[in-house]
Amino acid sequence: MMQLSKKVVNMGELRRLACLGVPDGGGTDVRPLVWKLLLGYLPTERSLWPYELEKKRSQYSAYKDEFLLNPSEKLRRIEESKLSRKKELTGERNGLLPRSEVTNEEHPLSFGKSSLWNQYFQESEILEQIDRDVKRTHPDKSFFSAKSNQESLRRILIIFSRLYPSVRYVQGLNEVLAPLFYVLKNDLDTSNSTSAEADTFFCFVELISGFKNNYCKHLDNSRVGIRSILSKLSQLLKKHDEELWRHMEVITKVYPQYYAFRWITLLLTMEFSFNVCIHIWDAMLGDPEGPPDTLLRICCAMLILVRKRLLVGDFTANIQLLQHYPQTNIDHLLHIANRLRGTMPS
Amino acid sequence: MASRRRTLLKVIILGDSGVGKTSLMNQYVNKKFSNQYKATIGADFLTKEVQFEDRLFTLQIWDTAGQERFQSLGVAFYRGADCCVLVYDVNSMKSFDNLNNWREEFLIQASPSDPDNFPFVLLGNKVDVDGGNSRVVSEKKAKAWCASKGNIPYFETSAKDGINVEEAFQCIVKNALKNEPEEELYMPDTVDVVGGNRGQGSSGCC
Repeated sequence: MMQLSKKVVNMGELRRLACLGVPDGGGTDVRPLVWKLLLGYLPTERSLWPYELEKKRSQYSAYKDEFLLNPSEKLRRIEESKLSRKKELTGERNGLLPRSEVTNEEHPLSFGKSSLWNQYFQESEILEQIDRDVKRTHPDKSFFSAKSNQESLRRILIIFSRLYPSVRYVQGLNEVLAPLFYVLKNDLDTSNSTSAEADTFFCFVELISGFKNNYCKHLDNSRVGIRSILSKLSQLLKKHDEELWRHMEVITKVYPQYYAFRWITLLLTMEFSFNVCIHIWDAMLGDPEGPPDTLLRICCAMLILVRKRLLVGDFTANIQLLQHYPQTNIDHLLHIANRLRGTMPS
Repeated sequence: MASRRRTLLKVIILGDSGVGKTSLMNQYVNKKFSNQYKATIGADFLTKEVQFEDRLFTLQIWDTAGQERFQSLGVAFYRGADCCVLVYDVNSMKSFDNLNNWREEFLIQASPSDPDNFPFVLLGNKVDVDGGNSRVVSEKKAKAWCASKGNIPYFETSAKDGINVEEAFQCIVKNALKNEPEEELYMPDTVDVVGGNRGQGSSGCC
């Protein structure tokens, strides 16, 4: 990974190396940096990194102020700034605001549309959902049961839900976020690990940008929604292994929706053990075809890899096999996925 | 004698996120409880062999995701269901209030031939929590709702302690069989029984 110390990182070379697998640990864990580059969070020019990181981190801090403060805290700040402006204007009069200046709109019991409280209550359902899911994100791993890390995941998901209202929060995004945060938080460089939350947020946004349509309910039946992605998988399988496709979809009627919905929307995070998933992501993020197409090829390879079992299985056996995908040789899986390269069905 | 009756029963579990659908299913199928279930994405699938009145069935259970986002993707899972199990959390009013939505959504998407008599079963889960002190939906209120929807059988369950889970699923199997098509008419002995049972709504097994 000499690439990383060059003045300008050659992305083509970095991608080629990442697809072969990013080396783990050993005192020189480069994965956090590699993922940031692959996701486009860091520019290729090394000299720009400090500036870029500082800019993004302070932006995240502004998001936290904007989206995480409760309304009374926000109002206090608004009043404070009003007050100080007034002081500047009149140069006198300190103390309480006259009653007439607390607008009805901002009263906690007001149902006015612009009431900050009204917005706040509407969001509470999403907040509860995020809370519930953060607590059940890899509860068996001590990293994720640590309170401070759970808080970070929670904040990232809340801010994301506010900034991207078309997606808001969809169950499972916690699982997609987990590997990113884990990798970035475990950066051996403490200046990075202490800012892992901010960095993870932006990397998460970059990653999701390629998959956003999958999470939008109103796009489900469109040409870009999750259903169309599932049928793309089906076409890909038909193209590369028609016998298996026929057995699955014509004979046993095991449609991708029954098993691949989770594979795709969760980027395989629930199908493999955590560490294996990180290796798969190295290849998925590194592949020059981009994560969405690479993910589909890996999904198709997962089917081909167990084709012998699928071909003798009935509906029940096949669904159970694919919903609990067996442990497998990842290098072999990625090798098969590589062979499926070429024109993607459109 | 070769029976023409089917041996596969398809059951679908619906309800808000976090009410314990996955836990109930795992308690029933695997006799296990864990505090660590992940959110269900899409739908999980489990099967169990059950015996009911000397007949053997394969119960095919679809455990669905609770978040509203996944509802429009449910069609494939809902179609052909023999019984729909609605679950709410007795400690959450919202999960109870949403039962109407779940029921209607199911009837629209599954479009069963006889929606008025389609078998539902209601489970009020998590009765163990806090010794019952955090409960907000009374048994009376739940039973009133069931009565208003054509006497839906009702069970109060604890997936954690395994309370009423086996009983509830026995009832689910029994109700799933209510919709059995006319093949039974080929069995002379049972014609009267079937005729007598039809259109009674709830079986009263609760």
